[in-house]
This record gives sequence, C-alpha cells and structure tokens, in this order.
Amino acid sequence: MTQETALPLHHTIERKSARLLNSLLLISCLLFFSVGVSLCLGSFPTPPLQVLQTLIAPQSSDIAFIIWELRLPRIVLAILVGAALAVAGAILQSIVRNPLASPDVIGITSGAALAAVLFLALLSTTLSIRWLPVAAMLGALVSALLVVSLAWKSGISPARMVLVGIGLAAAMGAGTTLLIVISDDTAAMTAYVWLTGSLYAAQWEDVWGLLPWILVAVPISLAFARHADAMALGDHVAEGLGVPILRSRIVLLACSVALAGAAVAFAGGLSFVGLIAPHLAARLVGRNLARLVPTSALVGALIVLNADLLGRVAFLPKDLPVGIFVAGIGAPFFVYLLHKARYRCY
Amino acid sequence: MLNSAAAKGMGLVIGAALTFGAFFASVMLGTTEISLPTLFDALTHYDAANVSHIILLTERLPRAVIAALVGASLAIAGALMQTMTRNPLASPGILGINAGAMFFVVVAVSLLPLHTPTHYVWAALLGALVAASLVVLLSRGRHGELSPLRVVLAGVAVTAMFVSFSQGLLVIDQQSFESVLYWLAGSVSGRDLSMVTPLLPLFGGALLLSGLLVRHANALLLGDDMVTGLGMQATTIKLLLGLIVIVLAGSSVALAGMIGFVGLIVPHMARGLFGIDHRWLLPACAILGACLLLLADTASRFLMPPQQVPIGVMTALIGTPFFIYLARQKMASQ
Amino acid sequence: MPTIHAHCSKAWRRVLLLACAALIAFFVLANPLQSAAQNDNPAPSVSTPRIVTLYQGATDSAVALGLTPIGVVDSWLEKPMYRYLREPLEGVEHVGLETQPNLEKIAWLDPDLVIASDFRHARIAPLLAAIAPTASTNTVFGFKTTLTMIANATGRETEASQLLRLWDDRVSDFRQQIAAELGSEWPQKVAVVRFKSDHVRIYTHGFAGSILAELGFEQPDTLHTQGWGMKLSSTENIPVLNADVMFVLLEPDDPAIADNYQRWTAHPLWQRLSAVQNGRVFEVDPVSWMMGGGILAANAMLDDLYDHYKLQHQTCFPHATDHTGEYLQC
Repeated sequence: MTQETALPLHHTIERKSARLLNSLLLISCLLFFSVGVSLCLGSFPTPPLQVLQTLIAPQSSDIAFIIWELRLPRIVLAILVGAALAVAGAILQSIVRNPLASPDVIGITSGAALAAVLFLALLSTTLSIRWLPVAAMLGALVSALLVVSLAWKSGISPARMVLVGIGLAAAMGAGTTLLIVISDDTAAMTAYVWLTGSLYAAQWEDVWGLLPWILVAVPISLAFARHADAMALGDHVAEGLGVPILRSRIVLLACSVALAGAAVAFAGGLSFVGLIAPHLAARLVGRNLARLVPTSALVGALIVLNADLLGRVAFLPKDLPVGIFVAGIGAPFFVYLLHKARYRCY
Repeated sequence: MLNSAAAKGMGLVIGAALTFGAFFASVMLGTTEISLPTLFDALTHYDAANVSHIILLTERLPRAVIAALVGASLAIAGALMQTMTRNPLASPGILGINAGAMFFVVVAVSLLPLHTPTHYVWAALLGALVAASLVVLLSRGRHGELSPLRVVLAGVAVTAMFVSFSQGLLVIDQQSFESVLYWLAGSVSGRDLSMVTPLLPLFGGALLLSGLLVRHANALLLGDDMVTGLGMQATTIKLLLGLIVIVLAGSSVALAGMIGFVGLIVPHMARGLFGIDHRWLLPACAILGACLLLLADTASRFLMPPQQVPIGVMTALIGTPFFIYLARQKMASQ
Repeated sequence: MPTIHAHCSKAWRRVLLLACAALIAFFVLANPLQSAAQNDNPAPSVSTPRIVTLYQGATDSAVALGLTPIGVVDSWLEKPMYRYLREPLEGVEHVGLETQPNLEKIAWLDPDLVIASDFRHARIAPLLAAIAPTASTNTVFGFKTTLTMIANATGRETEASQLLRLWDDRVSDFRQQIAAELGSEWPQKVAVVRFKSDHVRIYTHGFAGSILAELGFEQPDTLHTQGWGMKLSSTENIPVLNADVMFVLLEPDDPAIADNYQRWTAHPLWQRLSAVQNGRVFEVDPVSWMMGGGILAANAMLDDLYDHYKLQHQTCFPHATDHTGEYLQC
C-alpha cells in the first residue's frame, strides 16, 4: 500500500488498468478452454476434432443434435447465468456496503423460489412449464418491490433494506419449505432440485430469454458504477460530490434485481455465485465497481460453467444439479483465499 | 423501546407470563382439546388407558418442552453471535452449525443405517461441532485474532460447502430426502423427552456460562480492547461465547431440526424492546424465543388441519411481520 | 506491492500452463474414448419398433404389450428395475431418472419412438421431439390411457384391447364377488396408507385410488377435498386414517420405517380405528400398489385384493414373464 501511494497517480492508474486487462484476458482464456472441454464431454465423450467439425459444418446427425441442441445451449446458459448473478452480487455488495450481500440477502432469490415452487406445486397441471421462468421473474420482482416499499422511509437506507430483506427472505423461505413438505414425492424432489440450482434441459429459448436482461442491465450498471464508488465513501461525501444518491441506488438496485431475477428464473436457486464471484474478482482488480462488473461477470461464468461440467460428467450416469458444485467448488476456493489473505485488512 | 429498568423488569415479567400462557396453550390445544383439569390429572394420576393422558405425555408435553428449550437457546445463541461478530446479519447458522448438522444427518440417513431422530441427534451435534470448529480455524488472522468479518465470511463459505454436499446426497437418493424432509423443515413432534435428557447438561451448562459472561459481552460491543479492562483477552471471550453459541445452537438443531428464523431475528426484536445491555437482552431473548416457538407450535396445528405445518415455517410466518415493523421503527430512530 | 503483484502473476501463469497441459493431454486421450463409447445399435426392424419409455407406467405397459424397449428409466424402488420386470428387461439400457432422463443417452440410442408424460416431461418435449417422434399423454398413473397410447403408436391395438377386456372382466367379477361376500357392508371405505420413517401418508387419488374407485370402494369421510393425499406427522391425527379397510404400503428393507410402524400401531388411538377392530388391515407391496403404474401392476394389485378378501380368482391374467405372447392361455 505505502509503495503504491509513493508513485505518481498516473502510474497507479496505468497499473490498475493493466491489472484489469490482464485479469480479464486470463479469465477469458480459462473460460474459452472450459467451453472447449465442456463441448467434448458428456454421456459420450466426443473427440475435439469432431466437435469442431460439427460446429463449423453441422449435419443432421446424433452428434450434431447433441452438440447444438443439448450441450451448447447449456454451456451458453451457464455462462450467462454465472455472469448475471456475479454482476448482481457485485452491485449489491457495493450498494449495501456489506461483503455478505448477495441476491439472497435482499430476498430476490427467495421470492423467485417461492413463485417457482408455487408454480410447480399448484399450476404445473394447468399451465405449461414454459411459464416457469416467467413465474420466477414475477416472484423476484414482487419480492424486490416488497423489500423496497417496506424499507422505504423517506429514502432507502442500505441497513434497513438488508434487514427487511432478510426478514422477507426468511418468510418466503418458510413458504417454500411448506410447499415442498406437503407435496408428493416427485413434486417435492423437482422443487428441491430447482432450489439447488439446475441447468438440466437448458434450451436455446432459455438463452434468448436471459440475454436481453443482461444486454440491458450490465451497461446501465456500468454507467452508474462510478456513482456507486462515490457512495461507498459515505452518503455525505457522495452528496458533496454531486452524486444523485437516491436515483443511483434505485437504478443500481433495479439492475441487480433484474439480473438476479432473470438468472434465477432460468437456473433455479443458484445464488451463491453472487456472493463469491465478486469477492474473487475483487482480489484480482480491487473493489472499484466499474472494474468489478466485467471481472466478476467472467469469474461467475467460469465458476458456473465448470460446476455444471462437473455435475454433468463426474457422476455419470447421474446428472447432478449445478448448484451443488457451485458451492462445492466455490466455497473451498473461497476458504483457501481467506486463508491466504491474512495480510489483508479484513 | 423500554427505557427504564422498571419498565424492562415489567416487560420481562409480562413476557414470562405470556410464555407460560403459550406453554399451556401448546399443551391444551390441538386436534384433541385437553382441558386444564385433564392436564393436572395426567400429571398426578396417570391413567395408561386414557387417550388424553397418553396424548399429553407422549405428544404435547415433550413438544412444548422442546419448543420452549430450543426457542430460548436459539435466541440467546443468536444474540451472542450478533454481539461477537458485530454484524446484524449474523445468526448461529453463520458459524456453519446448521449446515454441519444437516450434512452429518444426511450422511447418517443415506449412508449409515441411522434413520430415526433419536439416532441422528448425535450425528447432528457432531456435525455442528465440526463445522463450527472449521469456521473458527479458518477465520483466525495472522496473529490468531478473530476478526468478525473473517468469521462471518468463513462461516458463509463453510455453510455453503456443507449445504451443497448435503444437497448432493439428497438429490441422488430420493429415499433419504423423504426421511429427512421434516427434520430439514424443523420439527418438534414425534420426539420423546428421553431424547432431551442427555442434552440437558449441555443446555444447562451453556445457559449458565452465558449468564456469567453478560458483562464481558457488553464490553465486547464497545470494542475488543474494552474487554481487557475486565481482565480477559478479547479472543478468550470470543472463543467462550463461540462455544456457548455452538453448544446451544448445535443441541437445538440436533433436537428439532433446522429452525432458522429464531436465531437471526428474535435478538433484533429483543434489542428493539430491551436495548443492547446483555443483562436484559439475554433473558428477553430467552423469553421471546421460547414464546415464539411455543406459539408457532400451537398455530402449526391449526393452519391446515389435520396436517401440521413444520415449526420452522410457522416461526417465520408469525415472526416476520413483527420483525419488519421493528426494523422500520428501529432504523428510523438511528 | 510490486513483489506481491509479480508473485500473483507468476501464480496465474502457472495456472494457465497447467490448464494448457491438461487440455492437450485431454485431446490426446479423448480419441480412444470415442470408439469405446460406440453403441452397436442393431438395425431397426419394422415389426419391433425401437422405443424408449420415460415413465414407469409406460415401461410396464410396453412389456405387457410384448414389446422390449431399448431404453427405460430407473425404477423408484427395487433399483435399478422392479423385480417383476427384471427378466423381460434384461440387458436394456437405462436412460436416467423418470424426472430427469438423460437426453444424450436417448439421442445416442436412436429410437423410433419415445413415450413420455406431459406431466413430467413438458420441459424437454421439444428436445424429445427433435430426437424421435414422441407420444405423450397428460398422466403418469392412468394405466389404461398409457396402454392405449403405446398400442396406437406401435400398431398393437388388438393386444391392448384384449388386455383391457380382460381387465374389465376381472373388475366386474370382483365387484360381483365382493358384493356377494360382504352383503350390506359393501361398499367399503378404504384408506391407502404409507409409512415413512418419521411420518405417515394417506393417499386419495393416484394409481391405487383410481383402481379402488373403479372397483367400487369409497373414500373415507375425512378425506374428501385433498389433492394427492396428506402427510401426518403426529399420532394425535390417527383418526384421520379411519376407514372400513386399510391397506398399508411398507418398504421391507427400511428398519426406521418398521420402527415407525410399530410406534403408530401401538398407540391406543390406532386400536380404535374400525379397520383395526374388524381385522381388515392388510400390508401390501408398494411396487404393485403405487410405483409400477401399468396394467401388469394393476393386475398384481387386483390379485392382492382377491387374496385379502378371500375371493376366488376366476379369470386368467397376464404376468410379465409370459410376455412372449402365451399369456392369454390359462
């Protein structure tokens, strides 16, 4: 730290940009390799050359179907979900100023989960299951609105919002548990697998469903990122710097809710990524939100992609939900980092 | 918010009275209404042929006792947890206790032949201890100090890890999923008082120790260095408080399954009414926690009869409105 | 700071190198794996369509119609396949769970027909349709619908109508016999109860429920408006199980379930149930009463009922092991 402040400012900025670029490049490489490996592995491993052939010149065959309709959409969805949840988590951790914040904490995932489980328990016979993501999104939206409206008292204080969010999350979690307990076995297990977070049967229409949310919310949050960093110094400081506090908070919160809600709608209760990916990214590029957003997106994508790969191939013939491995990989790695980070000022 | 000692005292007395009332309600109400005279009759002249007597002694009394005990313990554990980490988001679950217990229970049910609650109580307790020790080990800083933030982060990581391993086992094996479902949701029914008796020394010891450490807990709120003024190292106090939390919460989870709301939110409610002084806070937590769980247990029989709602669900449904109200009031005054 | 930064980037470079090496090793090793994974899929024959059944009832019905699927889903109990179906399904590929079939495996098997359930597989329906023509119906335990659907899709309508006629004959025979046997006590209210390790379930609609209703049994008074059934966790609620006759589904291998059964049956409230007092509590096999889901399981369940009420089996019925076509002879 002391060494850095001794250098002229523009050197520091250059070094930080270089770090950002290096990190992004590195993680992108890892991501690319992971995609390659994922395409080749499955119930029946496919040689990489054949994968390349099928990607470039697909013919109608079993392999083409498996690669284009089964593996590729699942891989792309894993990347998008990981990115969306990670960015949502990064934004929340910045607004709420608590490193424990994740989309879980302010009740978004619980709202989506409750809506999804309600749908699975009550409506799956009347409405087509294609409406499940819509139901989950509605759940996330309604719970976010509830949190904001209940926490509103001439403005939103982050602490109050978190507290109300926790309360609501507890209540909605209770509702979800109740529904699972009174359902019959297969409905209960289906709901539980959804809650764990699963990318089984991911299809291209899921990808097209999630993509717009990311394409809209991520640029907006990048635009407001510098306001978030100013607010991290304290409300008074931010006001002094001319930051529109309320508006920034609302916009950033909306972005976070949109991203988390959409991701959870398609992948189930996968929210742990939103907690750890920003932490891991912060160790690479620091806590500046503008740098954190792209980095945590890539880190989140990498985690979810590899977790899903493990779930698909490590326990053949079983296909285990990705949520198990996100925490299963992410948590020990997180713990390892904690162990290594002793010189930090935590 | 009660401001004077007299008001607080009054509050505690009223709370205790309410808790007694809730205890009796829990014992008397249900599918079979049991009147007060029948209750005394069962306790004094137990008649093995009388159905009401049997229901009382095999179902109602054990449930009420367990609910009260677990409610009080979880609430106190939660309050101490929040003091130790100085983080309002902390709950005993943060130390990985719930997750560790869950994992060991799931392993016991799916891989070992330990299927009934009486058997896997010990697995749960062991799991809670293992997880918490792991968290404490991982959160020690360079000089062995326990920073609140590191504890919480380590706890979250360990929790997520154990929960995911449990989910893995449950998703693979539908049979064990069905066996632990009620435990996962929190359950006080179907338990004998004989399950409680071996755990009573643990509960008693931990509660006693917490009573002895109230002043140190108060000092801890003001900062680590304040504690040394009372003649003990901050780290020692944190470890002792941590031990109390682990024993109380671990035993509670082992006994009644995952009841998650109480440890997190009841301390907030108690603090809102009685302030942050642990001499008032801990008894208030015990009373509020016991009362909440007893009310939840009673209400759980009436929400969708004849099915019973898991107690963990009821506590959240009852407690949340009150908690949100308090959150708004309290934050407004800060 | 610079030293730590250099240390970090060295570490990352090592990681990158490791990842490259792993990928290269993988490329080298992956090629032999492919040939090992090749299925020798026999050429499709017109008379034996290659079908994959994605739910228990479909598997049962296919076997009943004399078909051998090339792919089936795992059973819920007696894994990987129920004992009564093991012989006819020897050597058949398993394609995963009913709730989560392995799509890659199904694609590799190259079936001519996939039998699915709207109820379970609505989400993967487009993918299944892309693999092979899919016949699906909106039920899981409606065994007659399943049988008819599979028969229509595979051209075995005659076999199906024979089986269903046999079933109808058995049903009317049972109804006559039991009305004669029980006289004024008929129709009886029936409770289908299943013990788990820490709670008890009573089923209303469902496989067993629909068959019992067809046979003339009635629902207990306590259960009129429930969905699939109820879970009871407290012995206080034993009176909910009150009925004239009770069929208890027990899983034989689980000691915790046996323990729980002991606990509940020892309770005085249990002794007050009419079924208990009339000696009409019968333990039955969950496979035929709930899991199997097809016409073979239905016939096995009907056998149980004949036995428990001590009635004479009048007509012959199909067994799974006779699926070679000889089953219609007595």
